[in-house]
Order: sequence, then C-alpha cells, then structure tokens
Amino acid sequence: MYKYAVRRLLLAVPVLLLSSLIVFGLMRVMPGDALTALMGESGNIGERELAKIRKDLRLDLPYHEQYLLWVWQMVSFHPGDSIFTGEPIAVSLAKAIPVTLELAALAMVLGLVIAIPIGVLSATRQDSASDYVGRVVAVSGLSFPDFWLGTLVITFAAIWFHWIPAIGYVSFWESPLRNLQQFLLPAAVLGFRLSAATMRMTRSTVLEVLREDYVRTAWAKGLEGRIVVYKHALKNALIPVVTIVGGQLGVLLAGTVVVETIFALPGMGRLTVEAILFRDYPVVQTNVMLVAGTLVSLNLLVDLTYAWLDPRIRYQ
Amino acid sequence: MATVTARAPAALETESAVEISRTRALWTAIRRKPLGAASAALIAILVLTAILADSLAPYDPLAAQPEIRLAAPSWEHPFGTDDIGRDVLSRIIHGSRISLWVGLLAVGIGTVAGMIIGLLSGYCEGRTDLVLQRLMDGIQAIPGLVLALAIVSVLRPSTTNAMIAIAMVIIPGNSRIVRGAVLSAKQNRYVEAAQAIGCRHPRIIVSHILPNVTAPILVIASIWLGNAILIEATLSFLGVGTQPPDPSWGLMLSSTGRAFMEQAPWLALFPGLAISLAVLAFNLFGDTLRDAWDPKLRG
Repeated sequence: MYKYAVRRLLLAVPVLLLSSLIVFGLMRVMPGDALTALMGESGNIGERELAKIRKDLRLDLPYHEQYLLWVWQMVSFHPGDSIFTGEPIAVSLAKAIPVTLELAALAMVLGLVIAIPIGVLSATRQDSASDYVGRVVAVSGLSFPDFWLGTLVITFAAIWFHWIPAIGYVSFWESPLRNLQQFLLPAAVLGFRLSAATMRMTRSTVLEVLREDYVRTAWAKGLEGRIVVYKHALKNALIPVVTIVGGQLGVLLAGTVVVETIFALPGMGRLTVEAILFRDYPVVQTNVMLVAGTLVSLNLLVDLTYAWLDPRIRYQ
Repeated sequence: MATVTARAPAALETESAVEISRTRALWTAIRRKPLGAASAALIAILVLTAILADSLAPYDPLAAQPEIRLAAPSWEHPFGTDDIGRDVLSRIIHGSRISLWVGLLAVGIGTVAGMIIGLLSGYCEGRTDLVLQRLMDGIQAIPGLVLALAIVSVLRPSTTNAMIAIAMVIIPGNSRIVRGAVLSAKQNRYVEAAQAIGCRHPRIIVSHILPNVTAPILVIASIWLGNAILIEATLSFLGVGTQPPDPSWGLMLSSTGRAFMEQAPWLALFPGLAISLAVLAFNLFGDTLRDAWDPKLRG
C-alpha cells in the first residue's frame, strides 16, 4: 500500500506541473501581452498606468522567469494582489475557501444520501414502479441544468413561501442555524445533480453483485433479505461507486461556480466568475490553478481509497 | 481448405456488412426501447425547429413591444413576453439554432482533434504517446466548466469563443477513448498482416484502424452533444457566452428569468425546460446508441 501511495503521488506531480503550464500559457495566449489586451479594452487606463501595472505584476520579465516566479508565489502561498480590488489574493481566498468547502461537503453528503438508497431500491426492485421513478429522477438530475434548478427553487420559494435567501454570508460558528438556512437549498440543488450519476452506478453495480454466486449462497443459507443486500452485496457494489463519486469531484467544483453565483454565496466559484467578468487575470490564474490542484489531490485520495478497498489494485 | 475458401469472400464484404449491421442495430434498439424512439423524435423536432426557425417563430425574436412587457402566457404569446415585450416562444425557437450550432461545431472540433491526438498516441505509442497523454492529463485536471471559463476570459465572451472553449474541454476524454480503441485494434491479426506485407502507415490507419474507432467515437460524440449544449447554456447564463440581444437559452434565463422571477416565472421556466429537454434527448439517444453499438462502454 505504501509503495502504491508513493507511486501515485509521484505521478500526480507532473500532472500538476503540466496544468500549471497550461494555465500560465492560456493567460498569455493572446497576441501581444495579456495585460495590454485585457486592460486596454476598458479604455480608462492610461499608457503610464499600464506600464506601472505591468511592472508591478512583473509582466516585463521573460516568460520563463514569469512562470517560475508564479509557481514560487503559488507554492509559498503569496499569489499576489487582485488588479481590480487591490486586495491580496490570499486574503480573498481565505474568506472564500471555507464557503465553497462547506457547500461542497454538504452537497456531497446530500447527494450520497439521495443516491445510494434510491440506487439500491431501484436494483432490488428492478423493473417495478419504484425502479422507473428512480431512473427518471436520475436521468433528470443529469439533464436539468443546476442554474435552472437553482433559479426555480428561489422563484417558487419566494412565490409560495414568501421566502427569500438571506443576503450576506454568516459563518457556521457565528450562527449555525442561519448558516444552514443559507446553505441547505444550494447544497440540495448541487447534491441532486451529483446524485444522478451515483444513483445510476449504484443501481447497475448492485444488480450485478446480486447475481453473484456468493450472494446466492447467502440467500440459500436463509439469511434475511436486508442482511444479504446491505451486508453482503452493498459492500462490494460500492467499490465502483467510489470511483464515480471521485469522478464527480470535477462536476462538484464546477457546480459550486454556478450555484454560488445564483445563491449569492461568497465562495471560490463566485470569486472566479467575478474575476473573469472584471478581467482580473491574476485572480483567475490563481483560482483555476487552485481548483486543478484540489482536483488532482482529491483524485489521488480517491485512488488511494480505491486501492484500500480493493487490494488487487495495489499490485497492478 | 473448404473453410478457408468460404471465409475469404466474407472477409471482403466485412466493411459494408459492418455498415449495414450498425444501422440495423441502431434501428432495432430504437424500435425496442421506447425511450430511444422518444429521444430520436425529440432530436428530430429540435433539428427541424432550428432549420425552420424563421417560418416557425410567430414573431421576430428581437422585436420589442414595450406596451406588452412581462405579459403572462396567452393564445397570442403562448410562453408570455419578456421585460421589453419580446415574444418568449419566438426567442426559444431561435435559441435552438444557437444551442445546436454551438453543440454541433464544438463536438465536431473536439471529436476531430481528439481523434487525431488519440490516433497519434495509440498508433505511435512510445514517447509521442507519453507526451500527448500527459498533456491531456494536464488539461483534464482542470474541471470542464472552469477550463471553459478560463479560456473565454482570455478570448473575451462570445458565442464563437464559447464554442472553442467547449471543444477544448471535449478533446482530452475523446483522445483517450480513441487511443484505447486504437491500441486494441492494433492487436488484430489483420493489422499485423498489413504491416508484414509492407502497407504504409496512413493506409493501415485509414483502412484497418479507423473503422474500429468510429463506433466508440460516435457514441461519445452523441453524449457530448447534450453536455456541450449544457456548457454553452451555463457560460451564457454566467454572462461569458452568447451576448445580448441574441436569444441563447442560458442567457434568457439569467438576463430576464432571474431578474423578474417573482412577477414573471415563465421567463425562467420555458428556457430552462428547453435546455433540459434538449440535453435529456441527447443523453437518452447517446445511451441508445451505446447499447446498440458499443455495450462495452456502459458504466
């Protein structure tokens, strides 16, 4: 297990370096230099100010030095300042990250709570009415855009219950109740979207495992149905589900961008969208890289969990 | 000996037989599965709507009539009107053009580029494969929507740039699937035979490898179409895709749908329904195509 973990860790490093090169290259892909093109468009910045900003941001250095400097800034947790607000990016991230983490964690939990029981129910009662309902819910989760669901939830909550999501974020430690009120609906919208793929996967793996010989043996021994399904079948059926949940992390991180924008939660996603709209490219660059880094680390964690659950993988 | 002579003409016919059996397999799948038939019908309606938008739309999608602003659904305006009195139905009908156009082009570019990279990677193996696949890993480490947002932020928001961004998101996954298919196709005896008799690489790729790759690539492309429509709508919703006054479904939802949601919930309801139905149709059709052509891709 130890060897496997080290090997996977070593494989993740070049991927991260390549992502950083892609992000860095992307921000400088425009003809001329990125800043002139981005800032010049707004029309309210003079040539001298532009030269000063370029110098402050070290855009006058050769590309390789700029890249190394940026990597160093990222690694040493000092990714520079926002062009637009002047606030250090580290400070705005420190405020935004807990919001996104809370939203993502809640959405993940809600997604699993919706997906696994419905998936198991769908499989154990294959081709029954509840199976069809479960499958329709899963496909609609994949097809309904989360920004539409979010908008509808806010609209109908306002029309039917005269409830409008509170503006102004309150942290969990300040007021747990108010914080949960703010997070529950966005997390449910995001969780519903996440649950779709997990539900489909749980259904098909449980169906597959229920046909295995050892499950038949368990039935033949006269074990109770619940024990056969939950103790014998589910444990093995959940192994591929872990991979699917791992694959969903990208969807989850991208989903927070949309959901935070709709529900006005001041997280990473909203920070990124705002930075893009204001062409605040140091913030965009840092945030995109941070998301890539998080995704690579989380995928590593999923791979390690997978190897822990299924010993065969470690020896491949 | 008899078996050899019996097999030889069959082998010559394989290519056309493959074509026929694929069409037949798809037809059987559509007939047997009601959901497959429904999704095919929905896609046909969507495509026809986009082609005939000019004659189908009851009003000009850009013509504002402030005197009937925010009018509720009625016989004259079945989906109501928006904040400056434009007919929502006509805008949704014209919006299908943007969604389909962006979806088709983005998936087309992404599929062709992914196929070229996958073919090079799988056929050449070695260092080319290593470099190309690590590059794909690097792109895939960034979530699709975030990558698309970053690309659009550099290129500036527009429908065309959204399309390029979506194509970039599609390339890595496609290249990987093609690479896998190429690697397994290379194991076939006939590829080895072609190499042994001195066939040139382009000929081996075009006549012996490519036919093995088309099924998985078409299946994946059909599933990606739904996703591409969804990403375009999301980018436009966030304000970095199609720009006003063009009627993109995602933009309609964000610009008027959210602003007037309490007075006019239909402004949020109908564009979202259009996106969901289009994505649903392509997802279900992709499932049917996969069951018919390439059941191995399931799960």
